[in-house]
Amino acid sequence: MRVARRYAVPGVLVRRYAVPGMLVAVPVLLALVGPVIASDDTTKDVAFVLGGGHWFGTDFVGRDVWNEVLLGGRSLVVVAVVATVCTYLIAVPVGLVAGMTRNRLLDEAVMRPLDLLLAVPSMLMLLLLASVAPGIPWVLIGVVVLINLPDVVRISRAAALSVSARPAVEAMRLQGESRIRIGLGYVARAMRRTLAADLGTRFTGAIYLVASASFLGVGVSPQTSDWAAMVDRNRTGLFVQPWAVVLPALLIVMLSIGVNLAFDRWLRDRAMEGVAR
Amino acid sequence: MTLPSYVARRTLLGVIQVPLVMCGVFFLAEALPGDAAVTIAGDNPDPAIIAVLRERLGLNEPAWHRLGDWLAAALHGDFGQSLVGPRSVVDIIASAAGPTLLLAGLTLVLLIPLSVGLGVLAANREGSRLDRLITSTTLGLYSAPEFAMGLLIVTVFAVQLRWLPPTAVGTSLLSNPAVLVIPVFVLLLRPICSLSRLIRAGMIDAQRSEYVRHVRRIGLSPTRVRFAHALPNAVTPAIQQLARTIDWLVGGVIVIEAIFVVPGLGTTLVQAVAARDLPVIQGLAVVFATTTVLVNLAADVAARVLSPTAEAGR
Amino acid sequence: MTVVDVRSLTVRVGSRDIVSDVSFSVGAGEIVALVGESGSGKTTTALALLGESPSGAQLTGQVEVAGSTVDSSNSPPAGVVGYIPQHPSAALNPVRRIGPVLREIARLHGGGSPVQQRVLDALRQAQMPDGSRFLRRYPHQLSGGQQQRVVLAHELVGQPKVLIADEPTTGQDAVIRAQLIEELRAVAGQGIAILLLTHDLELVRALADHVLVMHRGSAVESGPCLDVLGTPQHQYTIRLINAAGRNPAAPPPVLEESTPVVSVRRLVAGHRRVDTLHDISLEIRPRDRIAIVGRSGSGKTTLARCIAGLHPFRQGEILLWSTPLSPLLRRRSFSQLARIQYVFQDARASFNEFVPVLDQVARTAERLRGLPRAEARARAVDGLDRLGIAEANATRLPGSMSGGELQRAALVRATLAEPDLLICDEITSGLDTVTHADLLDVLGKLQEDTGCALMVITHDLAVVAGLAHGVLLMDDGRIVEHGRTADVVALMHEEASLGSAG
Repeated sequence: MRVARRYAVPGVLVRRYAVPGMLVAVPVLLALVGPVIASDDTTKDVAFVLGGGHWFGTDFVGRDVWNEVLLGGRSLVVVAVVATVCTYLIAVPVGLVAGMTRNRLLDEAVMRPLDLLLAVPSMLMLLLLASVAPGIPWVLIGVVVLINLPDVVRISRAAALSVSARPAVEAMRLQGESRIRIGLGYVARAMRRTLAADLGTRFTGAIYLVASASFLGVGVSPQTSDWAAMVDRNRTGLFVQPWAVVLPALLIVMLSIGVNLAFDRWLRDRAMEGVAR
Repeated sequence: MTLPSYVARRTLLGVIQVPLVMCGVFFLAEALPGDAAVTIAGDNPDPAIIAVLRERLGLNEPAWHRLGDWLAAALHGDFGQSLVGPRSVVDIIASAAGPTLLLAGLTLVLLIPLSVGLGVLAANREGSRLDRLITSTTLGLYSAPEFAMGLLIVTVFAVQLRWLPPTAVGTSLLSNPAVLVIPVFVLLLRPICSLSRLIRAGMIDAQRSEYVRHVRRIGLSPTRVRFAHALPNAVTPAIQQLARTIDWLVGGVIVIEAIFVVPGLGTTLVQAVAARDLPVIQGLAVVFATTTVLVNLAADVAARVLSPTAEAGR
Repeated sequence: MTVVDVRSLTVRVGSRDIVSDVSFSVGAGEIVALVGESGSGKTTTALALLGESPSGAQLTGQVEVAGSTVDSSNSPPAGVVGYIPQHPSAALNPVRRIGPVLREIARLHGGGSPVQQRVLDALRQAQMPDGSRFLRRYPHQLSGGQQQRVVLAHELVGQPKVLIADEPTTGQDAVIRAQLIEELRAVAGQGIAILLLTHDLELVRALADHVLVMHRGSAVESGPCLDVLGTPQHQYTIRLINAAGRNPAAPPPVLEESTPVVSVRRLVAGHRRVDTLHDISLEIRPRDRIAIVGRSGSGKTTLARCIAGLHPFRQGEILLWSTPLSPLLRRRSFSQLARIQYVFQDARASFNEFVPVLDQVARTAERLRGLPRAEARARAVDGLDRLGIAEANATRLPGSMSGGELQRAALVRATLAEPDLLICDEITSGLDTVTHADLLDVLGKLQEDTGCALMVITHDLAVVAGLAHGVLLMDDGRIVEHGRTADVVALMHEEASLGSAG
């Protein structure tokens, strides 16, 4: 309790979360607010110039790099968030059912196909599936969900399995409680801690996949402005105009590092509150 | 379950996985827009020519039929002809495998000593400035995409400082090892981060355990306690994580080869996907998937041997 | 010859004394017992002999081992003080074989004879004459008793002057306890001083020459074993002895010819492919109190779980008032569920940590007795109150209640179903001696009030003697003895001593 209160002091909070917070805030704000403040002026200048009225020069077809950066974050952030949410929406109920059922057959029927998915390298699956219909965000989301699904189902199932072996569940069964009440009222709640510990990894994993797909040219459509696609398309001019590559690459790395650090801080604070309670 | 029966069961799973994955890959490739006939017809999409090509390539046969033919041929090591060039798929894969094996092999060889060293170092100085530096760096870089990290490093060390060559264009990897430095470093980043974190956590757990306190009280030397008693316990979870690492390595290799223009399997795959060269895609998918299955198998068995108390694996 | 001499030892953390002003000495070949509950400071006292102290602690006083002073900067030379921790299984490295570790320790100490010879000698001294058979095994392939002897051998290789045994009987069954007594006696016979930390008065009686009773960090009473346990002076010692040695319960008013509440007929059950219960038959009559005893792994818990429906049995049948019960819990009706209730060993784990205890207790009456929510709640408040848990206390989450309180709340939760049979699985383990005695009183009272039959699973003979009318002794999935309490308890003592000799 005491620990929790100490962290509730704003000054301490600011200090503890300053670095990860800033690492997350800069790319996320740029991604979400950027398209609003970006200029509609798409007149093209000479390709790969430094300066010349452009903060960060121009890109491979002569567009303003800063304007492209403002426009290019939204696809990455939104697709990664939606994919992560969808993964949990599908995987957690499946894992809960597989973990709680005493029907071995049902459990196997759910889990074995997932073993198969694990045998396919994720980047291979990404390349193949995303190229079926490149440029459509929902396809990319579906692929990322499919790649993350086996892991999250496994984690949920393992958590549900260990929770439902607890005496608390047996005590509820002896009280004649229904399975749904046991599942939602207890098992799902007891699983939250395990799932929270996984969330950060999963989200940065989604960022990783979405960005890598766009870099390899199977993510967003060629017309879209996108940080990862910028890195790919502008790297021919790396020697004359590094900003067109460095800026978007830096933002992607910042986002990934920041999310990891922020989730780690948050989990540690939660664990400390748990101990103090 | 005894060790031999575990190994037998686990091997059986692998043996089932490979053909099932092959079937999956086949249908995935089928689902790609356009087919071989369209690809060959190229810039001249005359429907009549496409129809003739389809007939000649047997594409009008039912998919199951073609799957059977493909599997049968694959069993004999024949993955067909590339649609784009005159070469056979096996030939293409064989000539691209060298650079990829070199990259991945070098990474694997360096990976284990480096991550054990880093993990043990951090655990020994738990809470110190060095530990905090190692922990937050490995945590942060754990999932930074290789392409972004790679290009940032290239910009600094190859473009600005000019210490290292920026790409592998025009040289062979073996004759100019400097070319390999940045690619291997970037490939190592993610696996090292995850493995060294596991080793560190395992070492800290083990150092606090009753069995380590017990041998310390008995008077064994700190070095023996650390390396002969604590480390073996810390290594087991890391071995299991090695199985995940191979997945990352495959992904990393694809991206890294694209950045550094290494003529390996990854580049071949990206080009094949772009050109819709189905036989090449299928052949490469089989190679990657089989490798993954084999490495997973080896890691599971190794983890089982190293941890005598482990229950039946999966 | 005095080997250990402790004078005015005080260990202070912050402003609190964990150990205050404790003095005692142990001579060669002598056994001294530090008796007290967990938290009484016995382990801290003993670790001071090794020069260890809790972090941030200040030590004052004098500790001498084998003639030289010991403090935090001067640990005794390796091997002089042997320490056997509370859980021997935790002291053995799970991934190292027994032999290499023993040889490693033997090499450390040098000495005349070859390493292998000294290892085998130590195992022999630790009552493992056939020790060479175990050298290639991993710790998890040994039984609890064997693990304890291997840890003992670790210490004996170094030919210690003093051996500290921390709660050596915790969680061990009667047979292992009897063997342990033999082992420690043999060790003392070799001239090694032994310091025993325990709350097990039976063990103290069997082994100790001197006793030091500790309570909240102070030594409240000390002297020769017979004096202290025979004519205790201090209030706390008296309570401790009374709580441990309870008088057998009065014989039951059982009508042998009445219909049994539960009859078990030729029951077979198992885990995976192995049968762990073979052909069990028994009858439980109304108001009867039976205890099921046996070592861990004997099948006693599986039997109880089969009756409660928590473990599906394979063959045979279980009758409740002459009606067969389904092996599967979900096929049993609400009224069948209500008639057989089960109280779990780990009370804390048996509560949902996100819901106030009172709500969980009341659910039984709501669900199994069909009462409206308000009335169910009133019953729960009433029942908890009778066992000494105030309503204000019970509306909290399980996390903020003590183990003893939760165990009583679990009893109320079960009895609100108004069961005909109440099964209690090791419900006193993990509680300290005084709480333990209180809980047994509560259980006895509860049974008299409700008139249900009681089935108690335990390995603690004191529980059996203090509570049960009849005893079932189980071994290897079979009932090997069945009779009145006094007879079976006497028999078990005999068997335990036979087991250690064999």
